[in-house]
Amino acid sequence: MKLVGIAGSVADKSYNRLLLKFIATHFSDTVDVEILDIQDVPMFNQSDDQTNSDAVQYLSHKIQQADGVIIATPEHNHTITAALKSVIEWLSFSIHPLSGKPVMIVGASYYDQGSSRAQLNLRQILESPGVDAVVMPGNEFLLGEVKDAFDDQHNLKDPRTVGFLKETLEKFVKFVKVINTMNGPVEDDSWKSEDLEAHGKVETTIEGVDMHAADWVEQAAAKTHAAEGDDTVKLDRGVLTVNQLNYFLNSMPMELTYADANNQFIYYNHNADAKDMMAARTPAQAGNPMADCHPKRAIPHVQQVIHMLRTGKTDLFKLPVPGNGPEKYIMHYYQAMHDAKGEYKGINEFVLDILPIVKYYLAHTGQVLAKDPNAKADAISGASAKSADAKPDSVSGASADAEPEQPDEVSAASADPEPVKPEVDSVSGASSNDN
Amino acid sequence: MHKFIAIVGTNSDQSTNRKLLQFMQKHFADQAAIELVEIKDLPMFNKPENKQVPAAATAIAEKIDQADGVIISTPEYDHSAPAVLMNALEWLSFHIHPFVDKPVMIIGASYGSLGTSRAQAHLRQILDSPELRARIMPSSEFLLGHSLQAFDEDGNLIDAQKLAKLTGLFTDFQTFVDITAELNHANEANRQEVQNVNWDKL
Ligand SMILES: Cc1cc2nc3c(=O)[nH]c(=O)nc-3n(C[C@H](O)[C@H](O)[C@H](O)COP(=O)(O)O)c2cc1C
Ligand SMILES: Cc1cc2nc3c(=O)[nH]c(=O)nc-3n(C[C@H](O)[C@H](O)[C@H](O)COP(=O)(O)O)c2cc1C
Repeated sequence: MKLVGIAGSVADKSYNRLLLKFIATHFSDTVDVEILDIQDVPMFNQSDDQTNSDAVQYLSHKIQQADGVIIATPEHNHTITAALKSVIEWLSFSIHPLSGKPVMIVGASYYDQGSSRAQLNLRQILESPGVDAVVMPGNEFLLGEVKDAFDDQHNLKDPRTVGFLKETLEKFVKFVKVINTMNGPVEDDSWKSEDLEAHGKVETTIEGVDMHAADWVEQAAAKTHAAEGDDTVKLDRGVLTVNQLNYFLNSMPMELTYADANNQFIYYNHNADAKDMMAARTPAQAGNPMADCHPKRAIPHVQQVIHMLRTGKTDLFKLPVPGNGPEKYIMHYYQAMHDAKGEYKGINEFVLDILPIVKYYLAHTGQVLAKDPNAKADAISGASAKSADAKPDSVSGASADAEPEQPDEVSAASADPEPVKPEVDSVSGASSNDN
Repeated sequence: MHKFIAIVGTNSDQSTNRKLLQFMQKHFADQAAIELVEIKDLPMFNKPENKQVPAAATAIAEKIDQADGVIISTPEYDHSAPAVLMNALEWLSFHIHPFVDKPVMIIGASYGSLGTSRAQAHLRQILDSPELRARIMPSSEFLLGHSLQAFDEDGNLIDAQKLAKLTGLFTDFQTFVDITAELNHANEANRQEVQNVNWDKL
C-alpha cells in the first residue's frame, strides 16, 4: 500500500517530520510511505493563483497517486500551522486532490496535550466540503512531550507508544482499503483507455511524420531541426555534445528504451544488432506506436502495465524474462518518468542480465548460492518452467489488480504462486515484432 | 476617542473583508480612529532558531501595543481562518506578545450564507491560547454572508439590519474596551505568565 506523509512544519527541525520518518522506516513492512516536502509551497493567495506551480502540482500528483495520506501536525496557538493550512488551501481551491482520500492524523508537540487541539481542528478542516478528505475516525495518535520521545537514533523510546502507533497504522491500512473500495469502481477497467496506437499527442509529439515509417528518425529529425553530431545540449547536470550523449548511452551496460507519454516508442540505445540483444529492437522500429511492437494477445497486458505506471499505482514494474538458459537472468524494468511537477512523461525501460552482478558479489564476498529450504516450489522452478502452460491472464490478473500491494510480487517469479507469462514483459519490446 | 487597529485577515487583492473594515473606518470616524493593517508581507512562519522576528511583524506588534483594541475581519477558508491570518498570529506570539489582555472584536465576511461562523469560532480559539491571551469580546458575532453583494458602489453596507447590528456591536466593543481597562489587576501577572510560556523549556 502506497501512502504519502506530510509534516505540517517548514522549520529546519521538526519533531513531526521525525515522527513521519520513524513511521516510514519502522513500519516499512506494513506500508510504503513517501514523505512529501512542503517547504516550497507559497502562502495561499486567492488573488494570485499558483496552483500550477511545481510545488503545488507535485503535492497534488503525489496525493492523487497515493492510496492514503498521513498528516503529522504540530500545534501552534491551539491550532495547526499556517504552513500546513496554506497547503490545504491550495489543495481545495481550483484542484481537489484530497477529495475522497483516506487520511490519518498524527501529531507531536512539546506539551503534554500533544497537539490534541490542532488535531481536532485539522479534522474539521479536512472534512470541510472544499477539501472533502475522509479522515479516519476515533484513533488519535498524540505524541506529547516530544522532546524526550526519541533516542539518539531517532527511534521512539517507549515500546508502548510504538505498539499503539503500530495498532493505529494497521487500522488505517484497513480503513484505506474500505474507503478506496467504496470510492472506486468494483471492476477497474480504466487501463483500457491506454491507446497503444498512439493516436493522441503530447507536447513533444512530432506531428506530420508517419510513426510507422522505417526512416521515422531521419524524417522526425529533419522536421524538428534536431541537434546532432557536435551540437551541444544542456542537461541536468552538465553539457554534452550529441555525440558524447550517444557514446554515453550506448556504453550503458543495459538496453534502454524510451516510450513517451503518448505510448510512442521514440528511442533505444542502438549499440547492437537485434539478434544480439536481450530484447530485440531494429532501427526501423524507432518512432512506432507501441501497438506495432507487440503481438495482439499481449496488448491488454501492456496496457495494464503502462496504466499502472501512468497512474502511479507503481513507479517501477519489473519482471524476469525466462528462456535464456541458466547462464543468464534477464530482468526487464519499466520505470515511470516524471517532470518536476510529477506529471507522467513516459517509460524508461531498461533490460539487463543480473546474473553477472550476482556472481561478482558472491565471488568477492566468498559466498555461494544455496537453495532456500522454505521457498515455495514455484520459486525454485522459476517462471520459465511454467510459462509454457500459463494462462493468458495469469500476469494480467495481478498487474491489473486495482490495488497491487507489492508491485514486486506481480512480476517476481519467486513470490508469485502464479506463473509469470513472458509476453507481458514486452511493453516496448520488439521481440514479438514478427506478428 | 478610541484608537483601534483593524487587521485585514487576508492577502487577497479584492477582499470583502477589507471593504467591511474600510466601511467601518469611514462610518464610525466620529467615534473612533481606525487604522487598517495588512498582513500580506509577512514571510511564512518557520519557527526560526535564532528567534528573529521579521520587522513587518514587530511593526504590527507596536501598533497593537499602542492601540486601545484590535478588530479582526476574517474570511473563511475550509471552515477555518485563512493560513495568512494564522501566520500573522504565529509571528505575533513568537517571542513578542502584543495581544496579552488586548480587547479584540472579531468580525467576518464570506461569499456564502453562513458568513464565516466557523472561521470566527476558530479564530476565537486561537486568540484564547496561552501565548496570545487576548480579551475577545464575549457573546458577539458579526457575520456578513453573501459579502460580494453586501456593499453599494460607494462601499456602504446596503442591508440596514446588518448595519444596525454592526453599529450596536461596535458601541458594545467600545464599552468592552473601557471595562477591560478596569480589569487590569492581573495584567502584570498575565504578562509575566506569557513570558514564561517558553516552548523551548517544556
Ligand atoms: C508560536 C508558537 C505557538 C505554539 N503553541 C503551542 C500550543 O498551543 N500548544 C502546544 O502544544 N505547543 C505549542 N507550541 C510548541 C509546539 O509544541 C511545537 O512547536 C510543535 O508542535 C512541535 O512540532 P515540530 O517540532 O514538528 O515543529 C507553539 C510553538 C510556537 C512557536
Ligand atoms: C480555499 C478556499 C476555501 C474556502 N472555503 C470556504 C468555506 O469553508 N466557507 C465559506 O463560507 N467560504 C469559503 N470560501 C469562500 C470565501 O467565502 C471567500 O473566499 C472569502 O471568505 C471572502 O473573503 P474576502 O472577500 O475578504 O476575500 C473559500 C474560498 C477559498 C479560496
